[in-house]
Amino acid sequence: MAHVGHRVDYLAGFCCPVGGLVAGKPRVLCHENEIYLSNGSEFVYVYDQEGKVLKAVYRCPDQVWHVELLPQPRQLYILCAHSGIYCVSLEQQSRLMEQTDGDGQESNCPSGVFPVDSDACIFPDSSLCMFTLLNNFVITLSQAHGKWWMKLHELPRPDEESPPYRQVSEVGFCPGPQPGDEGDGPPSRFLPVLCCASSPGAVGSGEGLWCSGGFVLEEPLFSLLFGIDAAMLESPMILCGFPDGQLCSVPLKALSSSPAVNGCHDVSNQDPPVKILHHLEEPIVFIGALRTERRAAEDAEDEQLFGDAGCDCVVAVGHYGKMVAVKADQREEATVPELREYYLRGPILCAACGSGSRMYYSTHSDISAVDLDWVGDSSDPEDAESCTGVLPPVLSPASLSICSVVALSLSSRASEGESELLALSAKGRLMTCDLCSPEDADVGLTPAEVGRRIKELLSGIGNTSERVSFLKKAVDQKNRALASLNQVMNVSAALLSSQEGQKPIACTVTANWSCLLLQDSVTISCLLENCSEYSLEEGWTLCVQLLASPCALEEESVDSATTFTFPINQLLPGNKRELTLPLGSAADTKLDLPLTISCALYYSLRDILGSGSDSSEALDDLLPDDSPILSPDREGICLPLSECTIDMLQCLCFESNPPRPDASPPAAAPPDPVETFLKASREQTEPEGAKAGELLDAPGEGNLPPSAASIRVSSELLKNALKTSSSDVPLSCATLRWLLAENAGAEALSSEEVASVRGTAPDGGEVQLLVREVAMNDLSPAGPIQAVEILMESPSLADMCRMHHAVIRRIQALVLEQAAQGSGPPDLRMQYLRQIQANHEMLLKEAQTLRDRPPLGEEGAATAEKLLHVYRQLRNPSLVLL
Amino acid sequence: MKRRRGAASEPGCLRAWAAESQALAGRWQAARCSGPDGAAAREVRLQRSGFGELLLRMRGLPAALPTLPLELTVLYNSLLFTMGASNSAIEGEAEGIHQGLLRVLEACGACGQDLSTEELWQKVLQEVTAEELQAPLHRLGALQAAWWLAASRLGSTAGLFRLLSNAEDPGTARCSKAENELLSLLKAWRVPAEGASLPLVQSIEDLKEILCTAAAFLQGLQELEAGNFPTALSLLQEAAGGFCSKSVLAQIYTCLGCCAQRMGKPQTALQHLKRALQVDFQCLPALSHVAAVYHELGETDAELQALALLYEALGKNPPAAASSSPYFLIRTELLVHTPILASLLRRRHPSEVKYLLAQRCLQDGRVADAVEHYLDFLALLQEGLQQQVPLDGGSALPRIPEVFLEAASALEQAGRYQDAITVCEEVISRTTDLIPQMLREEERLEQPECPSPEAGLAGGLLSQKKESLCCLTWRAAGYLHQGWAWAELGQSKEAITQFSRCLGDLLRAQLYGSGVEPTENLLPEVEVLQKIRLLSLIGRGVQFLELGRHKEALLDFQHGWQISPGDPAATSYLVQALWKLNRKQEAAAHWQKLSQSCPGEDREQEGQGRPFPLYLVSCLKQATFPHSESLARSIQDYLRTTNQDPLS
Repeated sequence: MAHVGHRVDYLAGFCCPVGGLVAGKPRVLCHENEIYLSNGSEFVYVYDQEGKVLKAVYRCPDQVWHVELLPQPRQLYILCAHSGIYCVSLEQQSRLMEQTDGDGQESNCPSGVFPVDSDACIFPDSSLCMFTLLNNFVITLSQAHGKWWMKLHELPRPDEESPPYRQVSEVGFCPGPQPGDEGDGPPSRFLPVLCCASSPGAVGSGEGLWCSGGFVLEEPLFSLLFGIDAAMLESPMILCGFPDGQLCSVPLKALSSSPAVNGCHDVSNQDPPVKILHHLEEPIVFIGALRTERRAAEDAEDEQLFGDAGCDCVVAVGHYGKMVAVKADQREEATVPELREYYLRGPILCAACGSGSRMYYSTHSDISAVDLDWVGDSSDPEDAESCTGVLPPVLSPASLSICSVVALSLSSRASEGESELLALSAKGRLMTCDLCSPEDADVGLTPAEVGRRIKELLSGIGNTSERVSFLKKAVDQKNRALASLNQVMNVSAALLSSQEGQKPIACTVTANWSCLLLQDSVTISCLLENCSEYSLEEGWTLCVQLLASPCALEEESVDSATTFTFPINQLLPGNKRELTLPLGSAADTKLDLPLTISCALYYSLRDILGSGSDSSEALDDLLPDDSPILSPDREGICLPLSECTIDMLQCLCFESNPPRPDASPPAAAPPDPVETFLKASREQTEPEGAKAGELLDAPGEGNLPPSAASIRVSSELLKNALKTSSSDVPLSCATLRWLLAENAGAEALSSEEVASVRGTAPDGGEVQLLVREVAMNDLSPAGPIQAVEILMESPSLADMCRMHHAVIRRIQALVLEQAAQGSGPPDLRMQYLRQIQANHEMLLKEAQTLRDRPPLGEEGAATAEKLLHVYRQLRNPSLVLL
Repeated sequence: MKRRRGAASEPGCLRAWAAESQALAGRWQAARCSGPDGAAAREVRLQRSGFGELLLRMRGLPAALPTLPLELTVLYNSLLFTMGASNSAIEGEAEGIHQGLLRVLEACGACGQDLSTEELWQKVLQEVTAEELQAPLHRLGALQAAWWLAASRLGSTAGLFRLLSNAEDPGTARCSKAENELLSLLKAWRVPAEGASLPLVQSIEDLKEILCTAAAFLQGLQELEAGNFPTALSLLQEAAGGFCSKSVLAQIYTCLGCCAQRMGKPQTALQHLKRALQVDFQCLPALSHVAAVYHELGETDAELQALALLYEALGKNPPAAASSSPYFLIRTELLVHTPILASLLRRRHPSEVKYLLAQRCLQDGRVADAVEHYLDFLALLQEGLQQQVPLDGGSALPRIPEVFLEAASALEQAGRYQDAITVCEEVISRTTDLIPQMLREEERLEQPECPSPEAGLAGGLLSQKKESLCCLTWRAAGYLHQGWAWAELGQSKEAITQFSRCLGDLLRAQLYGSGVEPTENLLPEVEVLQKIRLLSLIGRGVQFLELGRHKEALLDFQHGWQISPGDPAATSYLVQALWKLNRKQEAAAHWQKLSQSCPGEDREQEGQGRPFPLYLVSCLKQATFPHSESLARSIQDYLRTTNQDPLS
């Protein structure tokens, strides 16, 4: 591709917001020596290119979305966000300026800021999205009632004053899916693009057609694209590019359906004259036209002159780089419009077309020129043969090395006879770029030329430095991303390779009592320990998910989970970090014991790309409660660390001194205090009459008898499992120690020989745990079986159940472990066992029927009572775990 | 600010609010009686914000029974100004009313947060019994009815009035079941008396009248749309008797006229339409309906007159937004806006009317007028964007090339052959690039001839094919006209060239390869193409005859006869050519066949077929055989002699 020679001149800098200008709204227009510029703020600037001074600044009531210039009479039309179109007369203003300031030419700042007040608003319509001018007509596009409305207004002629802006016609149409329903504003940050295409016949008749960005389209493309009717009417066509990617054409002369009657439109006819030409499937940012085929050789010189020939190719460019070009293909016998899609490197911020065959487009990193003149370019015969058609099969963009330009415009200054590109960079700098290569430079230079040359060089350096800073930023960002990726990979590899054994990064979870807000409560502390050789860098997050067991007390309770996330700033190898979560008070029923706690490390990949947000709230959004940590919709890396269960036994709180002095005697278990003994023996002998036994043991708990449960395990089994010899400590004490081994507050037990403890549950209820040795006489014909009975009591049924669950969970694990070692059971009296089993089955059945029958009125209370009773019996089995 | 003073000073507040409301209403009374329109419109906006602010302040305090009558009245006035200031149709739900009703319930200690507006009304009217609230509530109800009518929610409106009447006087509403329920309910509704302490900006009697008119008008339109013309007629007549502005009355009469026309009573329709115009001459849709009725009656003079008048009227006042007097804040036109009304009152553009004039003149054979109108129309097309040329489905205009061809046809008939040739040239040059020249078009064109299920698959492709077919037709017709025009100018060679071009174009389509097919199965375009081919063959044959090239002429006539064996012109020319070539036997045989097929039958056949485009009519006329009687005589003589020969 040919090198595009160019020379860049900086003209002026304009204020820009932090982070630079955003493409779409900024606009640069050029007429004669003046440049009209809006940078997306509420200001519109007029810059004199000749004198290199800012001539005027207009302050609009709101953000400026679009600016058009009407050269005759000199008027600026400004579309402000959500308010409408304002008209500013430039002649009046310049007169005003001359009066106020005579010698302000030297200073580079304007004499003042002219406010554009609401009197200047000629179309007050908050739903207006875009407009364009065509001679003395204004074409507006607005969005209302789920439709796009295109309206044609006639501007008042300069000589007549009274009827200001007569609406000639309007049409409502709805291309494709409904435009966004977000009120009246445009649905996205993209505005529609409007562009006027005239037929060649219309130019001759109309004197001085003015339409910025508009073009004359040659036959037969005009007829092919817009139909014979529009061509014969010689109607100007409006091309609309919508944010959803549709490219539509509307004939301005046949715009009308019919005028509204009483504010209601005739919707009976469903075919407005709107034609959908193409669907680009991405927001359209530019529509333009090119002259791709050179005329006869003698015309080549005046090709640069504007308006000499019409255009023969229409292009539309999408934001993400898709571009479509349409040209009439007359090679074959039938003339058909050839439509070709190209893929440029996006995102494309803006684009511009001149009178030639080149289109210029700007991305964040560069301005590129593409040439659609293919016929003239196909020196290679193979190329021409391989692809039929009139458009080049591929485009080869040529770089202009100007980065981050958000608004482009092509101006052709008559004085120089060459075209130049006007560009507004994201940093608010206005520059021009000559499109002709300065080849005749190094002949004898006059001092003035040398001075100019130096100036050019300096501005070239400025341009380069801006480009360098941009590229440097990009490189830095990529380096950072790579470094992050590397450490993420290291950590992941370390964790994944040690799947079996101890993980190099571990998270230990313990339950503690602590004083929070003058209140003792249970907290869960997670100790994250980094034993690997890599440090956990910023970006990692520890996710702790608390999941209440499905076997919670309520029957219909579903899994409820809460996820806590802790960003880890840095955790060097060998370091630890402890994090504490409050487990909540009794009121927080969501977190009911036992809790399953899963810990995982999470790394958001968005952070690597620099697009992620740093705030932890966003992360909380990312990881909502009630969802598993690993879910496919999260763009990141998630490494599970550990999972554990926190139950009642871990959360019990004991007073600093042993709970019951009378229960502490270290003597052997059987001669327990009298009360305990009495109760126990009564329960043992008459399990049905547990009520009586409980009555005895309810001293200060109001009228409620404490709930109780028991479980018996054979001493043999426990001894084997706990690996204690009888000489060491009594088995009952050992059992209790084993049960409370994970309780941080139970250290006192290890020093003394205790067989019974009384503690406080997290919700404040009191719980008692008692272990003693009993002999089971009836079971085995071989004699009594020694067993350990674990008794649990609490005035609160819920606490008792949690406790029961916790103990059973441990014993279950123990039995499973022992079963794996395979110790044979002793000889048993089967008849007796069967009897017990039958009893229990009956009880179960009773419970089942009671639950199935819906309780009615008073009967309900009785039923509940009965049910409780049955459950109580079930909790005190006469069986022993062997 | 108000909150600071607390509830203790509420009577003070109430007095202040009442005074403010009274002052606002008084100012409005003064303003609307004097002052130009613009000032009044500004006053409406001022008042809207004034009442709106007052209402906001009142709502700053919790609702209380003593202040509610004033609050509801302020709400009523504020909503009226909202309606008056919008100056266009009312849309959406009246949020203010909903909120007002909630305030009423709040004051009474009830709750209605989740109810719809209909349910809310039911609850309020049934549960709130406070005497002093009845009148303001009824007024608000009337305003609600206006909102619902504007949304065409007739059921909700009727339900509301049922509630209002029941609450007041159960039993009266039921008396007239035969009549329209909503109307009888509306009429039976007793207007609450207006108190001097709570001034209204538009009286409730006015509002009731407007509601009656709008309800009748709306329902009439609905019945008209549903095709129940007698019901529609009576409802619209009811509406016409109601209270409304002149422009609305004219609209109602126009609708009455349309209704009568659809019932097959053109004279009644004309009467209604005339009344519409008498009431409001700006009701131009009535004038176009008048033209349509005259067209139906076959009174071309009157129709053309009406159209000319319409054109003149359209030229005089460009369609501007009707300035409405703000005397009435709520108006019937704000309540009635349905699509059917919009289509009935479709405003014709001047270009459409001009075309209709030209077309009717041409159809009626008023060639000179037709030429003038067509030229005017073509001039209109050259004007700027002010002159809109509607091309959508509801437009009176055909496709633009057809208009050009019709113009050419008119010029030709008026003897302006050169002009006709020029106009045709435009059509030919415009279509040149749009007609595919490929021979493979043959299949594409044959496909639509035999309707296949795949035809609907690629709609875009098919429409494109159809479009090229249309272009081909227009281009061929252009050449045909040029041929006949050159023939009339006596330039046989030029004429033959044009006819040959026409035939060449038609050959491009390869339409007749499959032979003669029953005409019913053909696309209209294809049928027209065949006709053009026939006319072109006849035209060229005639020119060959003129030049004395009888054999070539015979070939053309034979082709033409093959295309359309029953066509009298084609057969007659064939007979003539055969006769001139001295193949008298064949000529006689053809002639006999032609005369055997009853001429009446022919005409019937032609009537059955689709009418040919207007632009072909002149060519059809030109192609009729001029010397049929002399030819018939000579053939009969010949037949007599030959028949006698074997006898003698």
